[in-house]
Amino acid sequence: MLNLILIGFAASAIAPFIYKPLKNYFGWIAATFPLYIFLSFISRYNQIAGGDIIRETFNWIPSLGINFTFLLDGLSLTFVLIITLIGVVVFLYAGAYMKDYDHADRFFVYIGIFMTSMVGMVISDNMITLFVFWELTSITSYLLIGFNHHKEKSRKYALQALLVTGGGGLALMAGFILLSQISGSLEISSLYDLNETIRNAPTYTAIVILVLIGAFTKSAQFPFQFWLPNAMEAPTPVSAYLHSATMVKAGIYLIARMNHSLGGSALWQDTILIVGAITMLFAATLSFNQMDLKKLLAYSTLSVLGTLTMLLGIGSKLAIKAFFIYIIAHSLYKGTLFLVAGILDHETGTRDVSKLGGLRKHLPITTVIAALASFSMMGIIPLVGFIGKETVYSAILEVDYWGLFLLSISVIANALIVMITILVGFKPFWGKLLSTPKAPHEAPIKMWLGPLALAVLGLLMGIFPNVFIGRLLDQSAISIISEKLELPIKLWHGFNFVLLMSFVTLLLGVGVYYFRTKILHIAQNLKIKNIFKPSEWYEFLLNGMMSFAKLQTKVLQNGYLRNYIIFILVTAVSLASLALFKVENLFRITPDFSITFYESAIVIIIVLATFMVIISDSRLKSIVGIGVVGFTMGIIFIIHSAPDLALTTFAIETLTVILFVLVLYKLPKFLPFSKSYSRLRDIIIASSVGLFMTLVVLYITSIELQSELKKFYTDNSVPGGKGRNVVNVILVDFRAIDTLGEITVLAIAAIGVFALLKLKLEDRNK
Amino acid sequence: MLNSLQDLYHIIPLLIVSGGILVSIIVEMYSKDSEKILFALSILVFGAAGLFSLYSVNNVSILFNGMLATGGNVNVFSFIFNIGAFIVTLLSADYIRKYGTYYGEYYIILQSSVLGMMLMAGAKDLFIIFIGLELMSISFYVLAGLNRKRYNANEASLKYFLLGAFATGFIVYGIGLIYGTAQTTSIDILTVRFPQLTGNLLFLAGVLLFLVGFTFKIAAFPFHMWVPDVYQGSPTVVAGLFSTGGKAAAFSAILVTLAALFNGNVGSLFTPYLIFVSALSMIYGSIVAISQDDIKRMLAYSSISHAGYLAIGLAAGNSEGTAGIIFYLAAYSFMNLGAFGIVALIEGENETNLSIASYAGLAKRNPALAALLSIFMFSLSGIPPFAGFFGKYYVFFAAIKSGLTWLALIGILSSVISVYFYLRIVVLMYFKDQGEEVIPSKSAMGMVGVVLSAILVVLLGVFPGSIINLISSFL
Repeated sequence: MLNLILIGFAASAIAPFIYKPLKNYFGWIAATFPLYIFLSFISRYNQIAGGDIIRETFNWIPSLGINFTFLLDGLSLTFVLIITLIGVVVFLYAGAYMKDYDHADRFFVYIGIFMTSMVGMVISDNMITLFVFWELTSITSYLLIGFNHHKEKSRKYALQALLVTGGGGLALMAGFILLSQISGSLEISSLYDLNETIRNAPTYTAIVILVLIGAFTKSAQFPFQFWLPNAMEAPTPVSAYLHSATMVKAGIYLIARMNHSLGGSALWQDTILIVGAITMLFAATLSFNQMDLKKLLAYSTLSVLGTLTMLLGIGSKLAIKAFFIYIIAHSLYKGTLFLVAGILDHETGTRDVSKLGGLRKHLPITTVIAALASFSMMGIIPLVGFIGKETVYSAILEVDYWGLFLLSISVIANALIVMITILVGFKPFWGKLLSTPKAPHEAPIKMWLGPLALAVLGLLMGIFPNVFIGRLLDQSAISIISEKLELPIKLWHGFNFVLLMSFVTLLLGVGVYYFRTKILHIAQNLKIKNIFKPSEWYEFLLNGMMSFAKLQTKVLQNGYLRNYIIFILVTAVSLASLALFKVENLFRITPDFSITFYESAIVIIIVLATFMVIISDSRLKSIVGIGVVGFTMGIIFIIHSAPDLALTTFAIETLTVILFVLVLYKLPKFLPFSKSYSRLRDIIIASSVGLFMTLVVLYITSIELQSELKKFYTDNSVPGGKGRNVVNVILVDFRAIDTLGEITVLAIAAIGVFALLKLKLEDRNK
Repeated sequence: MLNSLQDLYHIIPLLIVSGGILVSIIVEMYSKDSEKILFALSILVFGAAGLFSLYSVNNVSILFNGMLATGGNVNVFSFIFNIGAFIVTLLSADYIRKYGTYYGEYYIILQSSVLGMMLMAGAKDLFIIFIGLELMSISFYVLAGLNRKRYNANEASLKYFLLGAFATGFIVYGIGLIYGTAQTTSIDILTVRFPQLTGNLLFLAGVLLFLVGFTFKIAAFPFHMWVPDVYQGSPTVVAGLFSTGGKAAAFSAILVTLAALFNGNVGSLFTPYLIFVSALSMIYGSIVAISQDDIKRMLAYSSISHAGYLAIGLAAGNSEGTAGIIFYLAAYSFMNLGAFGIVALIEGENETNLSIASYAGLAKRNPALAALLSIFMFSLSGIPPFAGFFGKYYVFFAAIKSGLTWLALIGILSSVISVYFYLRIVVLMYFKDQGEEVIPSKSAMGMVGVVLSAILVVLLGVFPGSIINLISSFL
């Protein structure tokens, strides 16, 4: 299977080179590529339907357990077949649709990589390779939504979709790593028998939340649903392919795939059920004030995605059966309707439903296609959508306590979908002919052939459900709930409650369609606050981060060195103080030294000089003060019989004062004094740093440091080196070789300096 | 002390670089055409030292009375430093000519900074670390002020020097306390005695000060203030070196010194501090980078947030974390150098074209540069299959393994934020038409450098396994 993935990427890479010369036939050529993959997989149909599972492993990073492990079972085969089959239709269609776009060659690169990654994702058994393919689909989706990049909106919403789905993907990765900590392996199949262990693990809740965030963002479940309608900025083939038939189902695929190992707990099942139900109803109601063909379809897609999620949450045999039929039915009719919307847009120049009507004479074939797909979407016998809706209803009815409630909201949601279907599938074609920006005419064969095939397939599947779906159903169910379903699929179940509900849905939908302007009017009077719109949260977060970033530039990163140092000092002192206060005996430190009269006199001088530095109003006085502090420090060294140190200090102090004076000479007059507020701040910071350093010094001096070296040097200084100044003896006797080395280095450096000076002089003489 | 000629064989990379410095000084003094010769010499020195480090990676040994280690991850680091400097040299050739700021010392100081980095990575004694650190830092202060005729270069150099000296003060103070309490500066002995010494508050204070000082050197929050100003004022190619080689060397010193902390022997003494640094650097760097209009400042904040991701590996405190940091540093060095390299190519005379808006429509004018920069941006934001992703994966993995799941989650969150500002550039290049005409300078050498970085980024991303195995085998 790896070779198919590699072929996929290679084929995408060569697209730009063959696009220009073959532009007029490119749709046909491009379609052979998904077709090839479709045929390669369908050749294993019998084997998989017979209960086999194909596994292949190719090493990538074996030391981390990251390998290309592919697993083909009922679940993944179902998805691969949907992806590639709709791929054939979309590639062919795009050949005509994208003809007038700039960079259409790039479009085929992106969508080719997308399809390959999508196939790679559903057949990956390794969690990390799954994640890699998952993110690749997010990136290609980003590139495709932003394809009309000259539009500001396209760019904005492309980024929004990427941030939401890509971010969710990263959460998913964290969940995967946590999972691998439990099982010790990154293979999903290795988790199958560990359901008990995983559910009892302390990290179980975290894993479930992380994995579900990944799934919900990708499949646009509440509260992440807002990116999907915005993603309709993409060219129509992209909306049909990525944002209705395949990519948005990746999250649902993931839930189904992980159900085996993570499922069974109330947390998992209830979260999925509730989120799915909310999305189903919420999304359907949002479609009310839409007039754009694609937006309408997007909201209905959201609602269906919610339904699918809810079915997984129910998790009964019947629900899994409904899940499969519904997912196949939806991919077929929704893909078709999107493509029909694309044809309408392409041939008439508008996507506004209110401007479309009576086109059946101009677009006869499209009218037929739209009708077939719409009947399936509305759930009318004998199309596959009918079976889908029937099984969904009966699965919902089985739920304890909540069954009737869930059924009623799903009837409402489906009635709204019926309304959408009438708007998209019938209104443009029937009634009075309305004038459109472009004179309408029938689409070229490349654009109607694919949708027609999908629509007819929907009809055939409805009439012969067992031929098309039945055989793979049991194997797929095993992948999700590890049981066979043994529930045959039938088109006709007789007159029963569920059938009645189907009728109610249809009637309600038609009713809503006729009264929609009135209902909308009422709804608009109930003003819904922005808090209930998750897209506002997204904007709020984005803007909040922006203003934080700007604020910090003003406050912290203002270029003043003194502010930087204040920040560093405050952080360092507070960190260290936190550590220091953990010491119990800190306040019982008794430094072991006696203070002489001279010392206290010197200290008083130092303190006075310091005050002089602070309060003086001329620079010169301050510098004199600093000098006094330095020199008195030197005197302390003398008292403690370290004349060499004292000499060094005096030299450095003298130099510093001279340098200061030299600099002062160049500086302007000392005019603006700091404000009392900043003075207060400086006092607090300075005294806390001082206090901290004092405490540290006191603590250090209260501890006797052990040192063998100290003892050795003091013991051997006189007998070994004939000298009483230990430091000097160390320098010239004990470590004489080191000193020699240092002198040599200095000498070499001096020669270098001399050479440089000489060269400079020569230059000047020239 | 030199025990045998075999020892000389082990330190060949160090000898190459130090020999290079000496020869360069002489060439600079006597040659009229020193610019070209020194360029060729630096290329030769860095290339040879880098490749030899990789070639002799398995010759693990400890030399000079336990002062210096060679082989193993020391050589991996040496490879990163030298190949990084190799790329910087390639980028410099035309860049400094464009600016008219060629001074003979440039290549010499570049080499001495790399020598400092190599010493830090190979150190087995706190003094060697200090010598290496100062050799590198002082070279950096000079390099930052290379455009000495410009105000902001002077400002950058001075700020870097003052704040850097401040941080060095912390480190020296820390080393002093460690020596005072442990009676040794030998890192091996410290490692062995670490568990007993943790009872001593002064020792802990010493280690903490050491860490605080290095927090500055790795450019992490809360000691990050210098980063944007210095990167902006320094020559772009040099800023590239600061953010890669400098950071990598500082991390190598932390890993070397506190090996005891990161082998899981000593529990989690400094974990709270490392978590604090890591979490805040990631979040702060990513959020603030969003609002930057200058690409060098944006890369500066990105560098802060990457210091945070790397510090996750330190906080994790296990061998996975250590291996993750080393791999991450390799990946980060090449992707960031590549990004800085392209900025250097786009940059016009007099520091123009540094705003992010100058990148609008680059894909049309120069598709090759746009594609390369996209690779670096994707890799920096951690999108597979580029090198940056596996770096992040590995440190997150290490964190989750030590139970710091939420720290990994913060990392993930800030990665999401960072996608926004990295991809903003890709969007500008591909999806927006140019506002003003920006013509990238033609530099064959610069292109070679950038392409080399891209190749390394892709290779590390597609075949991370062998590198990670190599690194882990030395831990």
